Amino acid sequence: MASPSTIARSPASKTAWQRFVAYMRKYWFIYLLVLPGLICMIVFNYGTMYGIQLAFKDYSPRAGVWGSPWAGFSHFRDMIEDPNFIRALKNTVIINVYKLAFGFTFNVLLALLINEMKIRKVKSVVQTCVYLPYFLSWVIFAGLVQVFLEYPSAADMGGVVNQVIVSLGGTPIDFLKSPGLFRGILTVSNIIKTAGYSAIVYFAAIAGIDPTLYESAAIDGANRKDMMIHITLPRILPSVAVMLILELAGLFISNFDQVYNLYSNYVLSTGDVLSTYIYRISLGGGTEFELSTAMNLVMNLLGLVVVLLANKIIERLDVQGIF
Amino acid sequence: MKPSSSNGTPYRRSMLSRFGFNFYDIFVYVFCILFALLCVYPMWYVLVASITPYEEYVKGGLMLWPRGGIDLQYYIAIFSTRSFINSLWISVSKTVLATGLSVLVTSTMAYAVSKTQVRGMKVINALVVFNLFFSGGLIPQYILYQDLHLLRSYWVMVIPGALNITYFIIMRNYFTYSIPKDLEEAAKLDGCTDVGVFFRVVMPISRSMIAAVTLFIAVINWNDYYNYMMFIGNKTNLQPFAWVLRRMLVDQSMMNTVRNGAAGMGLELPPPMALRMATIICAMLPIMCVYPFLQKHFTSGITLGAVKE
Repeated sequence: MASPSTIARSPASKTAWQRFVAYMRKYWFIYLLVLPGLICMIVFNYGTMYGIQLAFKDYSPRAGVWGSPWAGFSHFRDMIEDPNFIRALKNTVIINVYKLAFGFTFNVLLALLINEMKIRKVKSVVQTCVYLPYFLSWVIFAGLVQVFLEYPSAADMGGVVNQVIVSLGGTPIDFLKSPGLFRGILTVSNIIKTAGYSAIVYFAAIAGIDPTLYESAAIDGANRKDMMIHITLPRILPSVAVMLILELAGLFISNFDQVYNLYSNYVLSTGDVLSTYIYRISLGGGTEFELSTAMNLVMNLLGLVVVLLANKIIERLDVQGIF
Repeated sequence: MKPSSSNGTPYRRSMLSRFGFNFYDIFVYVFCILFALLCVYPMWYVLVASITPYEEYVKGGLMLWPRGGIDLQYYIAIFSTRSFINSLWISVSKTVLATGLSVLVTSTMAYAVSKTQVRGMKVINALVVFNLFFSGGLIPQYILYQDLHLLRSYWVMVIPGALNITYFIIMRNYFTYSIPKDLEEAAKLDGCTDVGVFFRVVMPISRSMIAAVTLFIAVINWNDYYNYMMFIGNKTNLQPFAWVLRRMLVDQSMMNTVRNGAAGMGLELPPPMALRMATIICAMLPIMCVYPFLQKHFTSGITLGAVKE
């Protein structure tokens, strides 16, 4: 009984093997192309995942990650009881809501208005100007912000903004050290840096609008403002929705580059966000390696849930999702 | 951008010619031009201020135009500081290496994954995109690099970023939607192998897209200081230019080094702000040089979240 079954099985497995070889022979080049990237991904992206267990351990450098004793959920308890963490979480969400409320609407408005400019030369010059800041790093851009908002000192006469304030008879303001203004500075500098680039998506959508719609509206006596509100705006709404959802997906993600280059000890109460806080308590001078890993894990999980929800909604909207 | 000129142009042009500019037009132009000025004026100001002679500079003002001639003393002060030259060399070399590696790895992988009919590619795609939203975080990364002996070495600025996930998605979408399937099939009917299709059909067609992505990744690498800051720390002989710039902006000791160097050369003791501005210009310059090429390409679909029409 045994031998016939093995005989019956072996040709089948052999053909499976043969099929595998044939398949590989057919597509070997595709697999070869994917290989370097796959290795990089496994080593550098998934390789970090094993370090996540630190969130549940008490790390001792001598024992290494695997050898360190388990600590259960104690780090998560510490995290919830840490007032600075709660503050950073709150700041992150508030700053992102500001960026959404002002930045996002500004992007749509800018796209619509640039599209209304009918002198080609002016339009293309404006576009060239507004895209430019996107390509500067936040270090450079933060440098520009600092130079403009600098408080007068013994060695210097202060930034342009304070020079103007003084010449108008006011007292200079130390912008980057006042907690009340910091979120505003983050929001506005973010608008200037990214609005032009973000508008590109809407230009693409506007380009897809059927021109006959405008012609028939013109015959019906619509003026250009009416056309913008009743034709252009509704037509780009799907893109607006996608961008809105993508933006929402980043609700818990803070812009480390921006905040780290602009903040100081004076504005921690309103400006300290999760990524800067995680940095400060770990590599940036602190030793809370496990706590920061735990925070990172929670942030990632929260973010992942939001992104998956967002992608579901995008799929409903009949536009191309991210996955 | 272009097609808007065709949107009901005859009607709009006649509106314009009949009434000239109305209030609405004025609002549109004033708004857009003001915002454009807001975007470029800071850079212009910094450029002008950094080449203005000291006597004029201390008078302040809006610096709309260079007054009192051009004076490059701050640049001389910067370029005679040893760590600047070294950091420029580090930045250039790591940008070239990291960009080359990254484009090679990312583009080949994106092409392979765009062949969704090949078994396993959908899984690999999902695995890559997952990383966009989930990562180990700072400390696990630090420990990993330690284990790989990358910590405090030059290569930590080059190798780990080889697979760029954002541009992986953009390139994958390009290979999926923008290369006509018929073309590849026709080549195969003519006896072309997968290898031939890749090198003789796909690569030539995608040349400009790959050039654009190369530029974008190069800009990212040029601007990057994060890997140095986190994983190299205090090896000053490895610091990239972006990091030196950051130190100039926040670190008083770095600033004093440069200022004293300038004073030692018999120059006027430069004001810190002016030195910062000159440094900003040095960091901006390479990006300004490639900006025309960047702009040419990114408007044509090199954006994430492309909307299917």
